[in-house]
Amino acid sequence: MMDTSAGRSISVWRRCARRLRHPDVTVPLTFLLPSLILLFGLIAYPMGVGFWLSLTDGSLLRAGEFVGLSNYADLLTSNEFYKVLRFSTIYAVANVMGCYVLGLSLALLMNRAMPGKGVFRVLLLLPWIIPSLVAAIGWRWMAADEHALFNQFLRLFGSSPIYFLSDQTWTIVIVIAAKIWRSFPFMMLSLLAALQGIDRSLYEAAAIDGATRWQMFWEITLPQIKTVSIVLALLMTIWSVNDFDMPWLIAQGGPAGATENLIVYAFRFTFGRNDVGMGAAVSFFTMLVLMILVVVMLRRQKDS
Amino acid sequence: MLRLWSGLTTVLTSAAIFAYAASAEPAEIEFWDMIWGSKEYPVAAQALVDEFNASQDDVEVNYRSVPWSGWYETFVTAVASGSAPDVSTGASFQAVQLYDFDAIMPVDALIEEMRADGTIADIPQRYLDAMQYDGVHVGFPWNTAMRVWFYRADILAEHGVEPPTNWDELRAAARAVTGDGTYGVVFAGADGGGQHSMHTLMLNNGGGVFTEDRTSNLSAEENVEALEFIQALAQDGSVHPASIGYKSGDAHQAFERGDAAFIVDIPSRFAKSPAAGSIRMLPPLKSPDGEIGALYFVNNIMVYSDTQHPEAALKFVRWWSENNLPLWTEGAAGQIPVRASLLEDDHFPEGGDARVAVTQYSDALKTFGSKADGAFPALNSVDGDGFLRTLIQDVLSGKDISAALEQAEKQLTAILDN
Repeated sequence: MMDTSAGRSISVWRRCARRLRHPDVTVPLTFLLPSLILLFGLIAYPMGVGFWLSLTDGSLLRAGEFVGLSNYADLLTSNEFYKVLRFSTIYAVANVMGCYVLGLSLALLMNRAMPGKGVFRVLLLLPWIIPSLVAAIGWRWMAADEHALFNQFLRLFGSSPIYFLSDQTWTIVIVIAAKIWRSFPFMMLSLLAALQGIDRSLYEAAAIDGATRWQMFWEITLPQIKTVSIVLALLMTIWSVNDFDMPWLIAQGGPAGATENLIVYAFRFTFGRNDVGMGAAVSFFTMLVLMILVVVMLRRQKDS
Repeated sequence: MLRLWSGLTTVLTSAAIFAYAASAEPAEIEFWDMIWGSKEYPVAAQALVDEFNASQDDVEVNYRSVPWSGWYETFVTAVASGSAPDVSTGASFQAVQLYDFDAIMPVDALIEEMRADGTIADIPQRYLDAMQYDGVHVGFPWNTAMRVWFYRADILAEHGVEPPTNWDELRAAARAVTGDGTYGVVFAGADGGGQHSMHTLMLNNGGGVFTEDRTSNLSAEENVEALEFIQALAQDGSVHPASIGYKSGDAHQAFERGDAAFIVDIPSRFAKSPAAGSIRMLPPLKSPDGEIGALYFVNNIMVYSDTQHPEAALKFVRWWSENNLPLWTEGAAGQIPVRASLLEDDHFPEGGDARVAVTQYSDALKTFGSKADGAFPALNSVDGDGFLRTLIQDVLSGKDISAALEQAEKQLTAILDN
């Protein structure tokens, strides 16, 4: 009985080996091999090492002991983590929505014939082009104190100064506004390309049927750019959740941790506390959340 | 014949050794130096290294200037990848943290050598003690950065207020000058400046973040009183309202503009300020219990254990320590030299901030690790983590002090347990 089953499994292996030796398999595999090696070396291996680190209590200079899932358990039982998660969610949702509304509005405007359109288009791309550090310092200058631009503007209306970066809620608003300001040009540019791809005859037919502008926007424009919009929302979510620059450079995650997102949190564990295990656990948790989101949104895109 | 062969062999061997020695390359030392002053500093430091290289043939030092931004990642990555320098300057607790990972070579041999020839007397013992960790000196001190109180003499004079000598007078003075866009005190709550000001007040009151045995002392009564004092200043309306969000640069500017009358900073901070004529240093303030105390850091030059030339590295460290006056005179280094002989140079005039600070604050100085002695690895994480920054932000924003301390204590314990 044993012999028969062993013989069967040997013959299965042989069949597989024969199939692998077939040119239909070996030729594509040979061509794919460099990419597979690159993918393994640049993505799979670092991810594997990162995941292993999240299961240890190591530091930047010492490998540490295997601690199982205790870093994840510590994370999920920490109040600080939920505060960070809450801000990350608010930050991502506000950025996606803000960028989409602003980007779409400007894309619709740029899609129309108007004088100086080229100049406007270049000017609107500036926030996206300038380096993050310059942008963040600029926003800090504009919001720092009573002498800063925002308060000079408020003074015109007789308002007393607001110390934006000293108040938790206002700092969140400033950090989100800065991120939207920096990211909307990409959204605008992509949506503009999508708008320009819509068949004009659809609007002409709708106009003949007596459709209003609002109806055309709602029934033609939005459905036509839906696929692009989902992809853009997905990208913007990933970039927002993974954004380190704005929360750190503007407020260093403060005041009192109010603008600390998952990436700043991971950075603080890794480089502030030299606790690589926890830093890796935060990063992996972030990646897991983003992967779930990607799957859900791509499935939605496929359904649509 | 045997004697002839023997003589010939000796001559040939000696010639070979001589030829090898003559052709031997000098020991190459990689020296990474942080930027301790403004843009002139790396130029002055490179010139000093060139001077060392020209002064002898045994050691060739290669200079590399390292910016402070991302310093920790720079050094940790270098050590982890086996590409650490032979010698470097660095943050106050860098040496002790890296020593804990066997990456640093103690400099005790150099200190013993200097003790033997008497030259170590030029460096006050406290600076050497500050570099001690479990019986060894992990770095060689070369400058110190203390935190002292400054005031705007013009603002105080305008309000008829005398410079304060204790906390009560400081609070009264801060309240007296507050009004019309001027505030009593400004803190840099968004970076290390604010947390060091808070720490100075804790030490001033006889407290400190650590106990003698390096455990948490954060909730000690003396610390609570210091935090209550800061909160009282804020509740009086005497603290600049932007303090929570200010970084050090913002706070300096506010002080220089005359938006605030008091600030805690390092002695040389305002030496080149346009408002320097109106800025004075306060002697150490007395706490309600009559205590004095101020935070100080000892910056050091360290040798890495992977160096192939330990003796050459120590030789360079000694030379650097004895000859680095141009770092101040030409490089505009911002800290105070630890060597008494350097401090006597005309660059540090009698009555100038550096000499006054050393004279007036010498009895008050306490390390970041107080009440524990020396340095220990957790200090780097405690200073860099940001929970002390959150603590002063919480205190300034009016959060309940015991709740804020409880949160900070939890984070401190997590770091100490790690």
